[in-house]
Amino acid sequence: MKNERSDLFSRRLFLRGAAGVALFSTTSCDRVEDFLGMGLKIGPCVPPTGEGVDLISHVINRVSFGPTPSDYARVKGLGDSEEAAVAAYLEEQLNPEKIADYRAQRAARRFEALSAPLGEMYEYKEEFLLEQLTGATLVRATRSERQLFEVMTHFWTDHFNIDSSKEDCKWLKAADDREVIRQHALGNFSELVRASALSPAMLWYLDGRENRKRKSEEKPNENYARELLELHTLGVKGGYTQEDVMEVARCLSGWTVRGKKKFFKGKVEFDAGSHDDGAKRVLGHEIAAGGGEKDLEAVLDIVCNHPSTARYLAEKLCVRFIADEPSADSIDEVAQAFTASGGDIRKTLRGVFATREFLKGTRGGKLKRPFELIVSALRVTRAEVKSEMDLLDYLVRMGHAPFQYPTPDGYPDIASPWTGTLLWRWHFAVALARNDISKKIVVDEAKLTEEAGGIEGLAASLLGRVATAGELQSVERAGEPLAMILASPGFQWR
Amino acid sequence: MTTTGTGLLSGNGDEQRTLIVVFLRGGADGLSLVPPVGDDGYYSARPTLAVSERSALKLGGANCGLNPAMSELHQVFLEGDLTVVPAVGSNDETRSHFYAQDLMEHGGMVAGGWLGRFLRYRDGAVPTALSAIALGKAMPEVLRGAPAATVMESMATFSLGKGGGATSKLQAELASLYGNDPTILGPAARDTLQALDRVAEIGKSGSGPKNGATYGEDSFSNGLRQAAQLIRARVGLEAVSLDLNGWDSHLAQDTLITPMMTRLSEGLANFRKDLGGMMAKVTVVVMTEFGRRVAENSSFGTDHGRGGVMFLMGGGERGNVLGKMPELETGILVGPGDVPVVTDYREVLKPVLMKHGAGGAMGKIFPD
Repeated sequence: MKNERSDLFSRRLFLRGAAGVALFSTTSCDRVEDFLGMGLKIGPCVPPTGEGVDLISHVINRVSFGPTPSDYARVKGLGDSEEAAVAAYLEEQLNPEKIADYRAQRAARRFEALSAPLGEMYEYKEEFLLEQLTGATLVRATRSERQLFEVMTHFWTDHFNIDSSKEDCKWLKAADDREVIRQHALGNFSELVRASALSPAMLWYLDGRENRKRKSEEKPNENYARELLELHTLGVKGGYTQEDVMEVARCLSGWTVRGKKKFFKGKVEFDAGSHDDGAKRVLGHEIAAGGGEKDLEAVLDIVCNHPSTARYLAEKLCVRFIADEPSADSIDEVAQAFTASGGDIRKTLRGVFATREFLKGTRGGKLKRPFELIVSALRVTRAEVKSEMDLLDYLVRMGHAPFQYPTPDGYPDIASPWTGTLLWRWHFAVALARNDISKKIVVDEAKLTEEAGGIEGLAASLLGRVATAGELQSVERAGEPLAMILASPGFQWR
Repeated sequence: MTTTGTGLLSGNGDEQRTLIVVFLRGGADGLSLVPPVGDDGYYSARPTLAVSERSALKLGGANCGLNPAMSELHQVFLEGDLTVVPAVGSNDETRSHFYAQDLMEHGGMVAGGWLGRFLRYRDGAVPTALSAIALGKAMPEVLRGAPAATVMESMATFSLGKGGGATSKLQAELASLYGNDPTILGPAARDTLQALDRVAEIGKSGSGPKNGATYGEDSFSNGLRQAAQLIRARVGLEAVSLDLNGWDSHLAQDTLITPMMTRLSEGLANFRKDLGGMMAKVTVVVMTEFGRRVAENSSFGTDHGRGGVMFLMGGGERGNVLGKMPELETGILVGPGDVPVVTDYREVLKPVLMKHGAGGAMGKIFPD
């Protein structure tokens, strides 16, 4: 966009005036761009030297959207041994509030519609809000130093999936992202579920707003109740019955969202007249008649503290961080951490990172989903991205556009559903390396190669290990090292 | 997984079925495409726009015919390969292009498109590199949520990179590295590379239209021509979405839509001729967001209405007239005087999707 250029220019002038010429007279052009949030942190590139993926590369790949060229050396420097360095890195990432993140925050400020109060969201064109949300998501995943926080944001976005193309979710998903997902991504699970249950976007997406019982013959709408049990808490094999689904729906009847033609549209409210106020029985617990809006708290208390919920969440976290088919031992350990901490997400994650399987299990055994592939490529190439939307086409073609998964279960987190995406992974690799995506996405292959100490170093920086003889031979023959490495099998896994 | 030139790449195995969804955007006037011949209500509401009973092309003994501008399509009907559905539509009452298209492409008040859900959830779904293609500039709502889908305006989109020699070297090295890959990406890569090779063959001699088909130069005909090439190349194509725009005939309707009907009719007839016997496994669905007001307006046009028209071609089904054209007496018209929706469009789509392998996924494809 033209105005982006002029915006940058005017900000430069402004900064020059405000901060003084001296600041800039001693810094290179790169530093200015860096200061303005245009590129990733520039540190020395010291590629890994192991023949296999070492612990440091492994952990960076699993808890982030992939390393920048300087991450490996930085993390390695956090401790005297690989184990100590990794422990320090994990602790750092588990405390995002202590990580300064001005660059990403400044870059995300471009998407100012996302900070509008709920009611004002309706004033924007729906496609504009989805664009802003998608852009901000790409910016944060690519540039934030709080990588684990962003990874968990993605995890919960899938867990509490809302397809923004459904009716009022077009406007309300932006608020859900801000006030539910990001607000509680590393908080407490029960609070996260509660925020989601009362999120106007979720009430639209799973029809909770239509769940009412005003007359005896009226049947509550079960849609949200079912997904709350099946997808958000206990899991499909969690031991609930159809009776439980119906009883949960009765408990939640009356919660609704103000409609389009009213003041405060989008506001969530409880309509006592639409609530089924009789006695209920949920998963063996009696809920007395007359509970009114407190029935919601009772239900959430029951489902969030159910042992199946601990196990279901533990399994999903293990699938995200460990393997497509994690061992029962790992799941048990993580479920214990979840239960012992009362659903504290950080403590549960510590449980994941403490499993033997996470630390010693298969490395590079998780296929990067398309979003992860694209972001990891942008990070490791220090791509200068001035228009995130130019990447959307690739995400759509690979079936992984954020906030566009059609059903409540969220994008799958295992490899097999994604094998049809190779053609567009290759297209993306070639286009990125050749600077063919658009004029607003720029990679400097010569500079990257030089910083990595040559093509072998570049390969190691991208693959998290020294390239094999076969890989190096192909890289040489193809004549386009960066495109070849990005498109190779080794770069598709994390 | 085979790597020979005759291997099957489609996720639906030996069936190799392909669904072509043609959306007539703008709200095509069902009463012009499929005029209710012999209905006095029609003739009195359309003093200048009605198609005369004499000029309409007969559809067997049905109380509706085809517009004379669609003689090629009429021939397809006579040969038993076309189903005509009059008075079909959705429960949309907004009569807004945007809402009505969205609703029909989503398949109800749900997120994502019905074609996308079909591709993701149908029995044994194994999406491949070229499973789904939208011929045009943007991904249509109907394909939203598909596991993999490609928007293309021309076949050139497929070949890797914009360069020539350098890219073929890269492709050869991809074949080498993925050829040795022990993971699930190995076989997937071999399929993908094979699809790329087959697409590269298209455009070389002998891959033009077959059986004397002669497509027009417009983008709709061009899209159908490319779809036929891809189907013949057996690259695993399961679904194609294609638009024919410009049916919003508020003004001077005849002048506007007569050439459109000819384009639709000739395009479909050529596509069928081109594919010949392969049409038994290819179904073309033609749909539009709504039909138009029964009474013409003062500028020789028509306004947004309800019941419209659908066509189904091919798929090995015996063609007929599905549902019925209601008699357009004042009493049965809906809203400001519109054709009632006699047949829900989803009831037309469901048997087609079953034939294309939807299996147990129908509840997810059309959850309402």
